[in-house]
Amino acid sequence: MKTWQKRLESFLFPAENDDWLACLRIGLGLQVVLYVLSLQVDWNYLFGGAGEGLNGRALSEGLLSTESPLVPRLGWLVVVGTHLGLSESTLLTIIWWALLSVGGSLIVGFLPRGCALTAWFLHLCAVKSGGLVSYGVDQFMTIGLFYLMLSPLPDRYSLDRWLRKRSPRHPEFLGFWRRVLQVHLCFIYFFGGLAKCLGSGWWDGSNLWRALIRPPFNVLPPEMLVHWRFLFPMAGILVCLLELAYPVLIWGRQTKIICLILVCLMHLMIGLAMGMYLFALVMIVLNLAALAPPFQWARRSTLCLS
Amino acid sequence: MEEPVRQKRIYLACFLFHFLLIVTISCRDTLWLVGHGLTILPPSFKSGAGKAHSVASVLLAQKLSTANPVRRAVLTYLHVAGIDRGYGYFAPNVPVSYKLVFELHYPDGRVDYEFPSANSGAAELRLASLLDEIGRTRHDRLREYLVKMLARSTWREHPDAITIRAIFGSRTLPTIDEFEHGSRESYEFLYAYDFSRGQESARPENH
Repeated sequence: MKTWQKRLESFLFPAENDDWLACLRIGLGLQVVLYVLSLQVDWNYLFGGAGEGLNGRALSEGLLSTESPLVPRLGWLVVVGTHLGLSESTLLTIIWWALLSVGGSLIVGFLPRGCALTAWFLHLCAVKSGGLVSYGVDQFMTIGLFYLMLSPLPDRYSLDRWLRKRSPRHPEFLGFWRRVLQVHLCFIYFFGGLAKCLGSGWWDGSNLWRALIRPPFNVLPPEMLVHWRFLFPMAGILVCLLELAYPVLIWGRQTKIICLILVCLMHLMIGLAMGMYLFALVMIVLNLAALAPPFQWARRSTLCLS
Repeated sequence: MEEPVRQKRIYLACFLFHFLLIVTISCRDTLWLVGHGLTILPPSFKSGAGKAHSVASVLLAQKLSTANPVRRAVLTYLHVAGIDRGYGYFAPNVPVSYKLVFELHYPDGRVDYEFPSANSGAAELRLASLLDEIGRTRHDRLREYLVKMLARSTWREHPDAITIRAIFGSRTLPTIDEFEHGSRESYEFLYAYDFSRGQESARPENH
């Protein structure tokens, strides 16, 4: 029993430096910035009320209330804004700017914990109120920001550490939070791969073809894709096997790097071939934070500086 | 008990709780696919998967009444942690794609056609999610509400139109062999709704 406990403890609380956390902070900061910039012109349309937007918020928030009244939503902020004399449109603009600012702050590492918390909250409000217009990228951003705000920030590369000499409160849990991210990714890929294996279309490549010609993901002309038809069955099986084997591959020293490269390539291809750039970026950021080896170059420069 | 040991135990308990929820939700979603016969597994798996799906729902407190505080607490946690659904994107197969066309009728008899659209590619992806939601729902009133929502925003850009006919259908995509033989995307009519200015309820028409 004691041995089992010790093994679990050494698995869950390994010694770890904060390179991975810097990667997660900078990557998610960039993701938040690109998320708001990509929706700049449609922000009020997607999240606004009947006056200038789709008015899907009313339905999403109504459905959310039947599940739990405690899940953050834009409606809360709109109510507060109304008390302060702000119109819904002004408030949505303020939220857009706030997300852009906290995303930028996360990139440089200025007040990282407060910014991570704010980014998580505001993004979650937007996702839950815009539930009808949300997709996979939102779920992974919420997961990433949730872990980021709970991790021991600031990391050593953040501006906060250099300017204000701030240190994290519990650096001994750096390894724990990286482990949480790794285990979560294992479940994400394993169940994603399992569900794909249960579909007939992934074994003969027809699902890849369908995914690539299905609007709005039809970025590449089908005439061009036809020339590569011999690759589809192989690529479909490779995707299934890679996702299914991810929880095994990431624990070996050699296989981890191979797995990281293959998974990042897969997401890069999804991003480029299907126009899902934000989805690709968030998955690459999560994988790099979870699996990438320490930044040797950065350590050398830090040592030189010190 | 020493502080670091106590802290580690708390972290361990949270870890187990968090991942128990993730595994349960992922299993529930996979079992749902099997239970609804959407996988390559033989039909004999359906009833077993349906029962296991119910067990997973019980574990997630979803069988409790909507006002139950335990159910609400669990659901709140699932939402704030981003673990409220599984990870079967494009699985087991790539889902059907949908298309919505608005037929705008003007007082002078002119007719224009519009698609729900956004100004950016990122927002177009989100509108596609909304169309998928419209196509997936089995609730007629919800479908009508969502179509009307999109029709209203189109109306704002075309205030002169007196009626809008919303035609909703599914796209049938060709297989790679069909494509090589000249077949292209086709469109299957599913529903149509007529909206008039000032009229709250639409006149639906099904295929």
